[in-house]
Amino acid sequence: MNSFSKIIHYSSKVSFNSYSDVGNNFKIVLDSPILVKLLPLKELNLLNMSVNNGVAVDVRNLVKLFGSSKALDDLSFQVREGEVFGLIGPNGAGKTTALRILATLLLPTRGSVKIFGYDVISQATDVRRIIGYLAEDAGAYRNLSGLEYLSIMARVYFRSKNDALEAVNRAVDISGLGDKIHDKIKTYSKGMKRRLQIARVFMLKPKLAILDEPTAGLDVVHASYIRKLIKDYASKYGITVIMSSHNMFEVEYVCDRVALINKGRIVAEGTPDQLKTFWNASNLEEVFIKVVDIG
Amino acid sequence: MGSLLPLIEKEIKDLLRDPRIYIGLLAPILTMPILGLVISTVMQSSIETISREGIKVAVIDLDRTSTSREFMGFIRSLGLNVSEFPPLEIEDAIKELKGSDTRILIVVPNGFESNITSFRKAQVNVFFIVKSTGLTSIGIFSVVENVLNAYSKALVESFISSKSPEVNPEDVLNPLTTVSYTVVKDRVLKVSPGVLFNQFFMSSGIMVPIVLMLVSTSVAQIAATATAVENEEKTLETLLTLPIGRYSILMGKLIGSAVVAMLGTIIFIVGLIVYFQSIFSLPIVAEEGLTISLELPTASFESYVMLFISLLIAIFFATSLGVIIGALSSDVRISGSLVGFVQIPIMVPMFMVIYGDVRSLPLALQIFIYALPPSYPMLIAQSMFFTELPFEVLLGIPYSAAFTVFLVYLTSKLLVPEKLLSLQHKLLMRRMKGRTMP
Repeated sequence: MNSFSKIIHYSSKVSFNSYSDVGNNFKIVLDSPILVKLLPLKELNLLNMSVNNGVAVDVRNLVKLFGSSKALDDLSFQVREGEVFGLIGPNGAGKTTALRILATLLLPTRGSVKIFGYDVISQATDVRRIIGYLAEDAGAYRNLSGLEYLSIMARVYFRSKNDALEAVNRAVDISGLGDKIHDKIKTYSKGMKRRLQIARVFMLKPKLAILDEPTAGLDVVHASYIRKLIKDYASKYGITVIMSSHNMFEVEYVCDRVALINKGRIVAEGTPDQLKTFWNASNLEEVFIKVVDIG
Repeated sequence: MGSLLPLIEKEIKDLLRDPRIYIGLLAPILTMPILGLVISTVMQSSIETISREGIKVAVIDLDRTSTSREFMGFIRSLGLNVSEFPPLEIEDAIKELKGSDTRILIVVPNGFESNITSFRKAQVNVFFIVKSTGLTSIGIFSVVENVLNAYSKALVESFISSKSPEVNPEDVLNPLTTVSYTVVKDRVLKVSPGVLFNQFFMSSGIMVPIVLMLVSTSVAQIAATATAVENEEKTLETLLTLPIGRYSILMGKLIGSAVVAMLGTIIFIVGLIVYFQSIFSLPIVAEEGLTISLELPTASFESYVMLFISLLIAIFFATSLGVIIGALSSDVRISGSLVGFVQIPIMVPMFMVIYGDVRSLPLALQIFIYALPPSYPMLIAQSMFFTELPFEVLLGIPYSAAFTVFLVYLTSKLLVPEKLLSLQHKLLMRRMKGRTMP
């Protein structure tokens, strides 16, 4: 046992606890037979932090019930500032519910969620000032032009006209829609609409962008364009991103770190490389299947 | 206010550019005049056809007396185109007439003359052969009835003249002349209340309820559809994650929809006026209407202001109901099937006011009726030309406005996604359960 052997894990409530080293840079914490967390050593101290101090999103023991069905079951994870974090899992795993709670749309049944230190329940308005949210399959107002839509959203968000104008110029640039930005949104393809929505989120320069399935249903070309937009602008503006996806290859390309979610619980967490190495898999899809099989 | 203006702008632009909305708004201004023109043209041509060709009447004279011949001469003199049939069986005569354009068969039975001369009731049998229920048929039948009544009256006059030549038969037939006056506000009109009420019913009694019903229903529909589209497209979800109050989001939607609805109302009223003008441009009706409307006192400026305010509150009320329906619907189809319920709080007070006296209702029901804003445009329209506005209107408008504000407040409370998503989920589950039930 080396110097990294003792790990205090904040979310552990299961009696089964074990750990092992994988390489020199991170630890694996198994706090149940199906929960695997791969944590870089330098981040271990973050686990016990109660305020943001480098932590953008702090989700602890999150439970969400819809009637008698449990959408989230003791979900815990953290996203670091500037990180692109992916929540991946099958349909009904709880990804959208988790993101909706982060976006202040839904209330947790139990547990806590903090965004840059702000509580999503008691400080929802503060949270809304620092997030940009893209719902899965989000549309826009069909009868407005792309430019009108961006302008209205910017004017709703920013108090200053100049800030709004700057944001719109930024969004036009991000969307890459060119002259089409003057056309009505109902004439846009699905890919163009998604570019507009990504531009709408990033024009606000939010501290946290919450993107629910940003490439779902897009063709290869548009999906690739959107991925590049997310990666580039997150880095350019220093935006922390949490996104969900079905697409494991996409996640591998865009995300710094991912959490695999199944039946409302995180079943594995780490960088794509760490997960592949640990599970001896060639891609994240394989990792996911192996993890779920174990569960 | 900063975030409200762009939200109102968004709402108005999005609604006015939606073909489903603008076609619906423009339809009355196109269809109403066309409808009015068609109806008046048909009525005019029916009248012209009847007056040009005369009404064809077949007569079977079984009495064959001088009196029965005089009868035929009389009805001929009043414009009926009489052709005499041989004394056939009635069934055969009707069969023959079915193939022709004659629609009336009059049978003068045996004993017609003897009954008349011995002051007993005489009888003629009239067969109306119905080929259609159009305006022309109705006109023909009523003309023939009037001609027969005129004959009856002529007979009485001739009896009276023969018995007492010094007496004016008209005085005997109508020994009492009634001159009706109707007192409206400070004016005394030389017109019977029945005529006045008919005229009033055509204007306030029909115009106001039609406008109110269609506008309220369409505004609720517009708001429900717009909100349901926001749900379907998840644009509401996006708005709810912005740092703006739910009240701003709601007010943006309410004001935006109300502005569009007001525009629709103006267009609709213009269409309706053109429609009524086309229909009532027929000579007789127009003349009567003109005489009466000139004599009618005008309503006060205050009552028009109150009518406008009450309409505005009613529109806001209907818009709020529409937003609630739309917010609860996860898609447009669900909102479409639910929006019919909005009719209940709009139609109930309206019919209560039209067909009953609200003051005679139980107190609990009165409190309910007076809380609903659609009651007031009707109450005001009913009284604005005749009396001062009743006190229940003056007190009730602030009461119904407060009720509307409360509804808007409740609606804004509903715009909490947690509640909204749960309610939508429940509603959807209930519908799905309903569909899968054997």
